[in-house]
Amino acid sequence: MAELLIENLHKRFGPVKAIEDVNIRVADGEFVTLLGPSGCGKSTTLGAIAGLDQPTSGRIRVGNKTYFDGDKAIFLPPEARNCGLVFQSYALWPHMTVYDNVVFPLKLRRVSTADCKRRVEESLALVEMERFQDRYPHQLSGGQQQRVALARTLVYQPEILLLDEPLSNLDAKLRDRARTWLAELRTRLGLTTIYVTHDQVEALALSDRIVVMNGGRISQIGAPQEIYTRPADSFVADFIGTTNFLNGEVVGAPGGDGQTLVSLSDGQRVLIKSDKRPSLGDKVTFAYRPEQMRLATPNDPAIGGSIIEADVVSHSYVGGRWQVGLNVGGNQIRIETQDATTDRQLRLWLPLTGGILFTERTHGKSH
Amino acid sequence: MSLDASTTLAPAADALPKPLPGRDTVIQYGMALLTVVLIAAPLLPVLYQSMLDRALYDSGQQFTLSNFGRLFHTDGFGLVIWNTFVFATLTTLISQTLGTLAAVLFGRTDMPFARLFGELFLWPIYLSALVLSFGWYTIYGPAGYLTLLMQSIFDGAPWNLYSLPGMAMIAGVSQAPVAYIYCMSSASITDPTLEEAARVAGAGTLRTLSRITLPLLLPAIAYSAVLNFTVGLELLAIPLVFGDPAGITVLTTFLYNNGVASARPDHGLVATAAVLMFAVVCVLVWLQGRLLGNTRRFVTLGGKATRPRPFRLNRLRWPLCVFSAIYITATVVMPIGALLLRAFTSLLSPMVPITDVLTFSNFASMLEYPVYPRSIWNSFIVSTLGGAVATAMVGLIAIIVLRSDFRWRAPLHYVALFPRAVPGVVAGIGFFYAFALVPGLGGLRNTIWILVAAFTMHFIPVGLGAVAPMLLQMSPDFDRAARTQGADWWTTSRRIVLPLLRPALVACFIILFITFFKEYTTAIFLFAPGSEVIGTTLLQAWTQGEVGLVSALATVQVMVIGICVTAARAFLGVKLYG
Ligand SMILES: Nc1ncnc2c1ncn2[C@@H]1O[C@H](COP(=O)(O)OP(=O)(O)OP(=O)(O)O)[C@@H](O)[C@H]1O
Ligand SMILES: [Mg+2]
Repeated sequence: MAELLIENLHKRFGPVKAIEDVNIRVADGEFVTLLGPSGCGKSTTLGAIAGLDQPTSGRIRVGNKTYFDGDKAIFLPPEARNCGLVFQSYALWPHMTVYDNVVFPLKLRRVSTADCKRRVEESLALVEMERFQDRYPHQLSGGQQQRVALARTLVYQPEILLLDEPLSNLDAKLRDRARTWLAELRTRLGLTTIYVTHDQVEALALSDRIVVMNGGRISQIGAPQEIYTRPADSFVADFIGTTNFLNGEVVGAPGGDGQTLVSLSDGQRVLIKSDKRPSLGDKVTFAYRPEQMRLATPNDPAIGGSIIEADVVSHSYVGGRWQVGLNVGGNQIRIETQDATTDRQLRLWLPLTGGILFTERTHGKSH
Repeated sequence: MSLDASTTLAPAADALPKPLPGRDTVIQYGMALLTVVLIAAPLLPVLYQSMLDRALYDSGQQFTLSNFGRLFHTDGFGLVIWNTFVFATLTTLISQTLGTLAAVLFGRTDMPFARLFGELFLWPIYLSALVLSFGWYTIYGPAGYLTLLMQSIFDGAPWNLYSLPGMAMIAGVSQAPVAYIYCMSSASITDPTLEEAARVAGAGTLRTLSRITLPLLLPAIAYSAVLNFTVGLELLAIPLVFGDPAGITVLTTFLYNNGVASARPDHGLVATAAVLMFAVVCVLVWLQGRLLGNTRRFVTLGGKATRPRPFRLNRLRWPLCVFSAIYITATVVMPIGALLLRAFTSLLSPMVPITDVLTFSNFASMLEYPVYPRSIWNSFIVSTLGGAVATAMVGLIAIIVLRSDFRWRAPLHYVALFPRAVPGVVAGIGFFYAFALVPGLGGLRNTIWILVAAFTMHFIPVGLGAVAPMLLQMSPDFDRAARTQGADWWTTSRRIVLPLLRPALVACFIILFITFFKEYTTAIFLFAPGSEVIGTTLLQAWTQGEVGLVSALATVQVMVIGICVTAARAFLGVKLYG
């Protein structure tokens, strides 16, 4: 177990910049998740730590051992690093039994036969797979294979544990259980862990800290609550949780109270309090979580927020609640209500505080 | 799920495994060096000899460029080039026409027995061209069964094997399976929806065939045409058996007659002609690469499971079936069958009832001369041991090239595929020179090991073709998992990659066994008394006019190969295509 330090890491595949200027410091025993959409460079980062691919430049250090240093031309081969990597595909060797799979790293370390047997059993017990020692991988379910793959990695007590989307091949139910189980295991073992996923629920539930990646770069590093409540940019806000975005133009620059008045494209006005200070005429985007918005009653006074009119575009039952799609001056937003509605128009209450204001020009993704 | 609080991992940290330093590097460099030496061994001496004024093992040689001039002023060399070109072109035309027709007819229509015909159509590539030549001779030769039959009915037979078209016919039929295989693999790869669309749009069978199917097959036809043209240039057996007696010389027989069969060989001339041939084939192989594109170089040549809907032949179903049956009988069943039958008779003629001439005397006399049993035994040893050595080498090259971070793996890949550009006759002459040139190797010269070396070198690309597809399909995560757990490259290869690769290695061994067992071209330049193989004794017996002996030996070869192919396909599901 040790601290992991990644500095200025770059990796290019020919013209493709897979990761750019990645800097992460992971404390001893910390559980950090790399989160981002497909192709954002998560596996590449993990592969760089494990030594599967040589990065283009940068530094990677674990404890006092330098794994990679582009300037000093240091590159430890994977077998000299003592990392534990669980693959997205599990990579259990199909020609070996569960026992042979798990004992392989111990044999490499010349552990005595008696110790081997005990430790394989212990490690399989940890993942509740001790009854399956003599099976071949193809005789196991996906979830069982995943646990064997984890046992095979835990058995030799790697310096750091790297998990590449270990739950992505499981069905929703199994995934839920495996998540709880992983969370328990992680508090017990206290291994320094890098966890890769593109599932935000997994990331929020498991991690000490989350690294949100986008297009090979880090968008934000922070604790789950921080990422959720204070996303650094609209990409993070969009990626974590469901978010409704509104575009508008500043018509009242923030004064001493930090309140900005924004005009939507259809002329409706929203007041929002933020520590960002845009100037008059700026195009801005602001975001609300669905739980921050509510329907306004006809005579609702706009206290502590603004009220806007919205056209209903869609209306669907999602089990216990209704999901209502709305159009506000060309912005598509979605809210959830308890009761069905037949109205063509709704009044929406937006809070003064809690919404997030982004001064970048426009939000990339359309909703 | 809850965790049992009593289970804990042992706290003591293990020592990291200490792989032998540099072992991976030594193995990789060693193997690369061995490959380069083996492949350069025949080539450099040929190039060297082509620029010397006398034999390369004589003393006092001078460098000279006059060999090239001399070659082109040699009497009749222009005719040799012309014959070679005509023979290869005719062969290609015939094989492409037959192969494409067969692919469409057997692979894409509802003709009865299409599958069976398809299987039989492939048989010529499992056998050597030498054996096929003898088969054709037995049926269509001057005293052949059908020839005599025709003579008794009409005035004479309308065919003459001792001519360029006759030779090209035999070669074309034996190479047609190559065109067939490429067309079949492309026909099943191409999107059947294209054809469906044409039919839905109202195009009739013939129209769909000519406007959609054939154009889709064009890349496959073009690629296999270059392949077959190359084979036509390199072919020795058919010109030797049928061309030489008629005074038709092509480049391969020119090399054979001046290099092996001549009492005072003019090595400068031979080497120069070999270099010329090598250069031409290099260009052709480069062209093959261009046509195939890099991505499809290793495409498995087996059809996919899904097949497009077959064309309906309607009224033509049975006529075409009869026509195909006649073709298969005339070109595959009869030549091979007659050869086998000839081995068990004292003569084969329509005038004599077969029961009068049945005998085992051919086999008995085959066993009388020690050279024949010895050649059979040698063939087994060369194929088994040589096949094993070559498979080991191919396996190592494949994992270095495709599954390591060896610095020179791309150049090594290129070098390992290079023997495709080295014709068998050139490899034979080259190894002959190499063993004459290097003093320490003299002892090996009269043993079968020189054959093992030459065959291995010549067929490394064939072996790679059998191993590479599976290696490319195997997830790299298997090796990566082992590497991160502390195994170095060689341990990973030994414990994970090679065991997983076993089916492909078995297939590779069987393919190389069969290939070595039927190989003769390289061997006739290299064998010595004591190291004969079936291919060389076949030719010897043929030269002595011992047709019965030839048939008996050929029967042994056909039987062994037949058993191997059938067993491999039945038990191992191995796809065997040359
Ligand atoms: N061997 C390679 N050659 C070229 N480009 C590559 C290679 N490996 C990855 N890339 C590119 O690098 C980028 C990052 O890939 P990476 O595998 O790290 O994504 P990821 O975040 O793990 O995605 P996913 O969630 O789909 O697994 C992608 O754009 C990918 O196309
Ligand atoms: Mg990935």
